[in-house]
Amino acid sequence: MKRNSGAGIWIGFAAILVWCLLPVVWILSLSFKPVAETSAGSPQFLPETWTIQNYKDILADGDFTRALLNSFGISLIATLLSVIFATLAAYAIARLDFKGKRLVLSIALAIAMFPVVALVGPLFDLWRTVHLFNTWPGLIIPYMSFTLPLAIWTLSAFFREIPWELEQAAQVDGASPWQAFRKVIVPLAAPGVFTAAILTFFFAWNEFVLAISLTSTTASRTVPAQLSYFVGPDPFNPPFSQLATASVVVTIPVIIIVLLFQRKVVAGLTSGAVKG
Amino acid sequence: MAAIEMNHIVKKYGDGFAAVNDVTIDVADGEFIILVGPSGCGKSTLLRMIVGLEDITSGDMVIGGERVNDKAPRDRDLAMVFQNYALYPHLTVYENIAFPLRLSKQFNGKEIDEKVRNASSTLELDEHLERKPANLSGGQRQRVAMGRAIVRDAKAFLFDEPLSNLDAKLRGQMRTEISRLQKKLGITTVYVTHDQTEAMTLGDRVAVLRRGIMEQLATPRELYENPVNLFVAGFIGSPPMNFLPATLEGDMVELPFGKVRIPADKAERAHGRGLLIAGVRPEHFEDASVMDADKVAEGSTFRATVDVTEWLGDQQYAYIPFEAPPEVQEQLTQLERDLDGESLRTQLVVSLDSASWIRDGEEIELYINAAKMHLFDPSTGENLTAAASGDEGAASRRSSTTRGEGDRVATDGASTSSPAGAHRGPGGATSAT
Repeated sequence: MKRNSGAGIWIGFAAILVWCLLPVVWILSLSFKPVAETSAGSPQFLPETWTIQNYKDILADGDFTRALLNSFGISLIATLLSVIFATLAAYAIARLDFKGKRLVLSIALAIAMFPVVALVGPLFDLWRTVHLFNTWPGLIIPYMSFTLPLAIWTLSAFFREIPWELEQAAQVDGASPWQAFRKVIVPLAAPGVFTAAILTFFFAWNEFVLAISLTSTTASRTVPAQLSYFVGPDPFNPPFSQLATASVVVTIPVIIIVLLFQRKVVAGLTSGAVKG
Repeated sequence: MAAIEMNHIVKKYGDGFAAVNDVTIDVADGEFIILVGPSGCGKSTLLRMIVGLEDITSGDMVIGGERVNDKAPRDRDLAMVFQNYALYPHLTVYENIAFPLRLSKQFNGKEIDEKVRNASSTLELDEHLERKPANLSGGQRQRVAMGRAIVRDAKAFLFDEPLSNLDAKLRGQMRTEISRLQKKLGITTVYVTHDQTEAMTLGDRVAVLRRGIMEQLATPRELYENPVNLFVAGFIGSPPMNFLPATLEGDMVELPFGKVRIPADKAERAHGRGLLIAGVRPEHFEDASVMDADKVAEGSTFRATVDVTEWLGDQQYAYIPFEAPPEVQEQLTQLERDLDGESLRTQLVVSLDSASWIRDGEEIELYINAAKMHLFDPSTGENLTAAASGDEGAASRRSSTTRGEGDRVATDGASTSSPAGAHRGPGGATSAT
C-alpha cells in the first residue's frame, strides 16, 4: 500500500514535469532545426541536423537585439521604481495608522483588477499628446503602475510580520527613523522585496498588449512585441525556428534571474529576533 | 548616568482612557526602581514614556536635569531591554551588540571592538559572538539583549519584563545576574515586571501600580510589612495575605474563627469603623502543637478544620474555608479582579512548620501572631493600622516614601481626586545607593 502510493507520487511528478517541460523542450528542439526542416510539413521531435545558425541569425538581427535591450532597460527600471515606491508605501501602510489606509489598499487592489486592454486606447491618445508615445518612459510608467498594487500588498504583508519592537529597539539604540528602516527593516524584508521584484520584472518582461500598442519603432519596442513582427517572406510559412530561437533567448534571462533571486528569498529570516 | 524625575505623568489615549494617571516618581542616580502591578496597570506604558516610544499626554519627564518630553528616543540616551529581546536577526551577536556604537559614529573600529568584547565577556557571550540570534537559546538571547544595553554608557537602563520569557530556573539565575550587573555598573535602572519575586529581590524601591495609578512607592520591606491599602497588601506576598471579616471591640478583634487581641495602638487607630477587613500573612499563623508552649500562651490561638494541605518540604500550606459577609465579600471579589485572579471561595491560607503532621480534614489548633495583623477599611481599602509599624526602623531605613495616613482613596473612578504626588514623603524620594 505504502509502496504503491510512493510510486503514485513519482508518476504524478513525472506527469507534471512532462506537462510543463514538454513545450519548453519542443521550443528548444525547434530552435536547433534548420529552416528546411521546420517548413517541411510534420517535422520530427528532434532535429535531424543540429544547427546553431538560428542563434547566429537572430543575434545578428539588429532589430531583435535592440528590442532585447529595450526589454531589459524598461523591465529593470520599472522593477526598480516599483519596488522602491512599493517598499515605502507598504511600510507606511503596515506601520502607520492614518485615515484612509483601507481606501489606499482597496484602490490598489482595484487597479490590479482593472483590465489592461481597457486602458490601451486612452493611454495611446494621452501618450501621443504628451509625447510619451514610443518612448521608454511610455512603457515604464504603465508597467510600474500595474505592478505597484501587487508589490504593495506583498510587501505590506512582509512588513507586518516584522516585530515592531525591532524598530523601536533600533530607535532606542540611537537610530533615526530612516536609519531604523534602512538598517533593520529593509534587510529583514529582503525576501519580500525580492519576491516583489521578481513578480514586477516578469510582468514587464512578458507584457505584450501595451508593448505593441504604445510603440511604433524599435526605439522602445520590447521583445514580446518585436516577436510578432517575425513573419518571414512567406505568409504560409512563418519562421518557426526563428521564433523558437527568439523565445529561448528571452527565456534565458528570466531563468537566470529566478535562480539568482531564489537564493535571496529565504523564508523565516526573522526567526530568532524575538522569542518563539 | 542620571536621575530620572517623573512629575505628574499622564497618558491618555484618544478614547479618554488614562493608561497612566498622574504618576510621580523620582529615581535617584544609580537607583534600581521596579514598576510592578497586574496586567493593564500602565507599568509598561510608563516605561515606554520614559524611553520615548510613547507620547506623554501631560506631566514632565526629566532625565539628568533635562526635560525630554519632546525628544526622540535616540536623543534620550537610554538603553532598553525588551520583553522579547528584539535582537536584529540579520546581524551576528557581535554586530547586535555593536549596533548602538556604530550608529553613534563616535567610535572607531578598534574602540567598538574593545567595548563589544568587554560587554561580551561580562555577559559570558565570548564564544557566541559570530552566531546569529536564531541559533541561540532563550537565556543567551536575553544576555545579548543586555549586552546591547550595557555596551554604551547610557544614562539609564530600562527593562521591560526581561525575564518573563525564560523558564523558572533561568529566570532565577538571570535575576541575580541583573542585580549583580546593576550594582557593578551603578547605573540608574527602571525595571518593569509583574513578577513580585523580581520586584522584591531586585528593587531599591518598588512602585506598585493599579489601573494607571501609583498605589505605593516604597522599599520592598516597607511594601511587605506596611502596605497602604488592600490592593498592595494583596498584591505583594505569595501566597497572598489572608483577608478576613473582622469587628473591633476595644483591643479584641473578632474573626470568623474567634477573638484575638491586637496591640493597643493599632486598635486605637482602627477604632469606631464597624465592620473591617483583617489582613494576616500566611506565615503569621502556626500550628500551635509544634510551638513552644510559653510562646503560644503569649499570642492567641483558635481551632479550625483544615480542608486541604500542601506539603512543600521546607514548609506546608493549609487551606481553611470560611464564610464572609456580603460587604466584605464584594470588596474581596473586586480585589481579586484587580489582581488578575479569580475569586473562587473565601479561604484562609496558613503557612505551617513542615514538622506539623496535620492531615486533610483534621481539626487543628492555630496560633496567630496578632501583632502583625493589619486592619483595612472595607469601603476604601485603606490600611488603618499602617502607620503603627512605620517607625519600626528597618522598613523606613531606605527612604521616606510611605505615606502616613491613608490619603489614598482606592474606590473606583475616584482616581483623579487624589494626586499621586502625595505618595512621596516630604523629603522627596531621593535615596542614596
